[in-house]
Amino acid sequence: MSEIFSSELTMSKNGFLFDHGSGLTYTLNTTGQLIFNLLESGKKSTQILEKLMTEFDVTEDTARKDLDDFYRQLKELGLIDQ
Amino acid sequence: MEKKSYVKPTIVRHSIGVMNKYGRPPATVPMSRLAGFSVKELVGQYGSPLYVLEVDQLRQQYRNLFRAFSTRYPATRVAYSYKTNYLKAICSILHSEGAWAEVVSGFEYDIARNLEMPGDKIIFNGPYKTREELTRAFTEGAMVNLDNYDEIQVCEGLADDLGKKLPVGVRVNMDLNNPPWHKFGFNIEAGHAYEAVKRIQTGGKLDVRGLHIHVGTYVDDVNIYAAAARGLVSFYTYIKEQLGVKLEYWDMGGGYASHNTLNWAWQSAEYTCPTVDQYAEVICPILLNGPFGSGDAPKLFIEPGRALVDEPISMITTVVAQKRLPGGKRGVIVDAGMNVLSSVQWYNYNFQTVQDSGVTVEDTILYGGLCMNIDVLRQSAALPPVRRGEHLVIPHVGAYNLSQSWQFIYLRPAVIAVDDGKIHVIKARETRDYVQQMEQVPEDFQTYRSESRK
Repeated sequence: MSEIFSSELTMSKNGFLFDHGSGLTYTLNTTGQLIFNLLESGKKSTQILEKLMTEFDVTEDTARKDLDDFYRQLKELGLIDQ
Repeated sequence: MEKKSYVKPTIVRHSIGVMNKYGRPPATVPMSRLAGFSVKELVGQYGSPLYVLEVDQLRQQYRNLFRAFSTRYPATRVAYSYKTNYLKAICSILHSEGAWAEVVSGFEYDIARNLEMPGDKIIFNGPYKTREELTRAFTEGAMVNLDNYDEIQVCEGLADDLGKKLPVGVRVNMDLNNPPWHKFGFNIEAGHAYEAVKRIQTGGKLDVRGLHIHVGTYVDDVNIYAAAARGLVSFYTYIKEQLGVKLEYWDMGGGYASHNTLNWAWQSAEYTCPTVDQYAEVICPILLNGPFGSGDAPKLFIEPGRALVDEPISMITTVVAQKRLPGGKRGVIVDAGMNVLSSVQWYNYNFQTVQDSGVTVEDTILYGGLCMNIDVLRQSAALPPVRRGEHLVIPHVGAYNLSQSWQFIYLRPAVIAVDDGKIHVIKARETRDYVQQMEQVPEDFQTYRSESRK
C-alpha cells in the first residue's frame, strides 16, 4: 500500500496530532507515534515492520497484525490515502 | 540491547472519554488482581469465562443494609430475594448473616427448605403459586403474600381443608412510576386493594396480617419509596379503621439499585446510585408514623436482591478476536456471551483491562462470543488496546446473570468464591453430560448409526 500523508498534519512530541485542514485532533500512543513518524519519512510497510521487531519485544505475527489494523484505522480516519 | 516492551499501536480521535459536566472519563487502570489473586492464574486454574464471588464483600453488603434499616426501624427483617441469584452457597452465606428467604416459586421454596431454612423464615411471593406449593407453605408456617383473586379463592379452599383460619399478606400496588407496576397485587388508587382486603376479611377463612409492595427494579429514585411508604401508612390507617385489620408486618419489597450504570442513563451509577442509608432514611421515618403504639409496631420486611449480590461478583472474560468495522470503530469479541450476562440489556457494564496497555483509549464495541448478531455486550466502551488471549474483568455481575443464564452453544462457566484467602468452587463448569442428562434418543431414531456405517 502507498502511504501519503496530508501535509497539514502536525504531531507534538507526546503524540498529540493536529489536522490543520479539518481542525480534528488525535492522540497516538508511543508505538503509534513511531509508526507515524516512519510513515511520514517515507518508509515502506516492510521497513516499518522490521523496525518494530528490532525496537520492541514483539513477534512478527503480532506486529504484522497490529500494523494492518493501524493502517486500517488511519485509512478510516482519512489520514492516509490508499 | 534489551528490547522495549511492546504496546499495540493506537490512534484515537478526540471525541470521547473526556471530562464533561456529566462526570469523568472511565478509568483505564489495569486490574491485574481480583479478590487477592492474579486474574491470569484464576483463569489458568478455573477456565474462562469465570464468575468470582468475594465473600467478604457479600457479608459487608448485607451488614451495611441491615444496619441502615434496623437502626432506623428496629423491627426490621431482611429477606433475600432468591431469584436474583439462588446459588446455594450464596443463599447460605446470607442466611448465616441472618437473612430470611424471599421466594417466588415452589422451586425456590424448595431450595430454601433444602438449606434448612424453617418455613416461618420464608416469604412466599409472586403471581403464580400452585395449590400444592401453597399447602406446603401454610403448613410449614411461611408468610404468603397474595397476588390476585384466584389465589384468594385457592387459599380459602385450603383453609377449609386444613381446618383453620390462615394468616395472609396482601400485595398492593400504586401509581408510583412509569411504566406503573400494575402486574402484581391489587391497586390502591383504583380501590381494588381495599375491595380485596374487605373480601378476604368478610370471607372469614383468611386473616390479613401483612401488606406487601414492591415498587420496581433498579429504582434509584428514593422518592418513589417515600411515596410507597406514605401510601402504605394511609392504606393501613384506612383498613384498620374500616375493617379492624391489625398488621403484623409490612413488606417494602426490593428494587434497590446497585453500582451499575443503566444503558439509558447519562450519568454514571457512581453518582446516581443511592446509598442504603438514603433508602432507609426515606422509608423508615414514614412507616414509624403508622397507626400503632410503641409496643405493636408491625415488623418491617425488606427484600433486597440486586443491592446485596450484584457488586460482590465479577466476571473474568478473555479476548478471542478483534476487528475493524466499517466506519473505523474497533470491535472486540470476548468468550462470554449475553447468555451468561443477560443484564447487558439493562447495564453498560465496565470492562476493565487486566494487562497494562497504556492510557490511550479507543471507542470499542464489545461482542459476546455467541454466533448470533444480537450478542452485543456493550455498544460503546472506551478501551485501551487489547489482544487475543488477554483478559477483561467485568465487575458487579452478581444479580440475575446466573439465575437467568441459559445454556447455548457453549457450556456455562464455573463460579468460585474467595473467602479469607481461600478459593472454593461453588458451581463447577458445566459438562456436556450434565447438559444432556435429561435427554433421551428413542431407539427408533438411532437407525442412522448402523445405516451410516454401511
